Amino acid sequence: MEKTKTVIVACGTAIATSTVVAKSIEEACKLAGIPVFIKQCKAAEVPSYASSADLIVTTTPLPANLGVPVIQGLAFLTGIGKEQTLQQIVETLKEG
Amino acid sequence: MDAFLTSLKGIIDALGATVLLPVLIFFFALILGAKPGRAFRSAVIIGVAFIGINLIIGLMWGALTDVAQAIVKNTGITRDIVDVGWPSAAAIAFGSNVGLWVIPIALLVNVVMLALRLTKTLNVDIWNFWHFAFTGSLVVAVTGNLFMGIVAAALVAGFMLFFADWTAPAVQKFYNLPGISIPHGTSAGYVPLAIPLNWLIDKIPGLKKWDADPETIQKKLGPTAGDPMILGLIIGIVLGVIGFLKMGTVDGNWQGFIVNVLKLGINLAAVMVLLPRMVSILMEGLIPISEAAREFMQKRASKREIYIGLDSAILIGHPAVISAALLLVPIAILLSVILPGNRILLFADLAVIPFVIAIFGPLTRGNIIRMVIIGTFTLIIGFYVGNALAPLMTQAAAAAGFAMPEGAALIISIADGFIWLPLFFVFLAQNLGWAGMGLLLVLLAALLFFYSKNAKKWEVMAGGPTE
Repeated sequence: MEKTKTVIVACGTAIATSTVVAKSIEEACKLAGIPVFIKQCKAAEVPSYASSADLIVTTTPLPANLGVPVIQGLAFLTGIGKEQTLQQIVETLKEG
Repeated sequence: MDAFLTSLKGIIDALGATVLLPVLIFFFALILGAKPGRAFRSAVIIGVAFIGINLIIGLMWGALTDVAQAIVKNTGITRDIVDVGWPSAAAIAFGSNVGLWVIPIALLVNVVMLALRLTKTLNVDIWNFWHFAFTGSLVVAVTGNLFMGIVAAALVAGFMLFFADWTAPAVQKFYNLPGISIPHGTSAGYVPLAIPLNWLIDKIPGLKKWDADPETIQKKLGPTAGDPMILGLIIGIVLGVIGFLKMGTVDGNWQGFIVNVLKLGINLAAVMVLLPRMVSILMEGLIPISEAAREFMQKRASKREIYIGLDSAILIGHPAVISAALLLVPIAILLSVILPGNRILLFADLAVIPFVIAIFGPLTRGNIIRMVIIGTFTLIIGFYVGNALAPLMTQAAAAAGFAMPEGAALIISIADGFIWLPLFFVFLAQNLGWAGMGLLLVLLAALLFFYSKNAKKWEVMAGGPTE
């Protein structure tokens, strides 16, 4: 059994846009067979959760140097480049 | 036949948003091309979310009504309009008669305006169509005319596309978001107010160059003002002490005092955590329909330059916005105490302040002090707008089937109950009826016309790049 990966999804409120992103990642990881735990949070909370995460996906600006890979999740909202971003996320999780 | 129609209408009226909205969402998702299984599941989730939201609103409304009554009785201070927050406003708006129609109507407005080249924005942020329905449902509350409410919602959708286009270059440059615009009800409409205020600050020597450091502010205020749960707990305890103190000092019932205060604290902390979770469930239900709508719209949009319209939530991670919003939380609470004539007890929407100020970022070049000053003025105006709109919002909530506690306080929310646009619409609808709607259409046309004549100048005015 592979180790469960933790993905933090950050947006302005931890409610609206991050739910869209979280659901897409959940579906993609299920397909790729990666066990994943997704935590939604607000941008301001990211630094306190960062140490426990394997990956951060965000739809809003974040501070630099979190020590964890950060992927821009705007594609999930605009629909443009969504597949590439999902692929990038799956690959990052497989490597890590 | 008549009997059949009457009983059908009776059934529809009795079902309410928890059943009716899922049914409509299901068929609408199918029309837009979503798969039946997915459409069905998301329709059911939406019904479930409405039940969850209704439960939490009941808890909050009851707790806040009790303490508001206690405060009036024991201190003579009248704060009998309670702030139930944007999640409640969104649920009321989507659960209203206008909310049932707002998604197809707003999509239609967008398609028509794109085809006529009146806008560059393709608004894929289906979730935030609730802002349009909110104003529409208030218009229905004041006129009793559903059709006028739907027309009002369509007009708000048009105004938001205009604001989104107008502010797009500023937003794209400052937040580094190429191709994005923000047709968001709580943010976009504040630009006309912020421009003159920012100009005024430029004229005041000394104030002009004043700024603050975002990191210090976030470190000092973040743990309390930035955490809704802790904020809810503190507000609950403070309100409880104010409201129930006489229970101890006059009646000698200190046991009752302590129980009441602590219970209120934990109840309001619970609301701050649970209400957003419920809305997140509603959001989950809307995903298939918003994906289908996005594909539907993108297929029909032409190849020319298009902005994708998104939620202003994508802006508010910016350090200047976070910091200015943190500073505005205590200011907003202070305003709710000192503003003469105010009846609003601020609570759930203290978390929404970043949305209110996000659009000031480019205009002030991220200057925190300026954002706080402009934000304070916006809030002061907002309080009076909110006091005026509260009876209508309460009426709209009742019409949408939300359970009111006995002797209920009136309700309001900062988003969008503190915003001039709904009040402006309601005022015109009430006093001029259809002529008011006509006037709004003329105003929108005039704005679009003058903007298109001199787009660059308008965009620079809103904080856009000059080159």
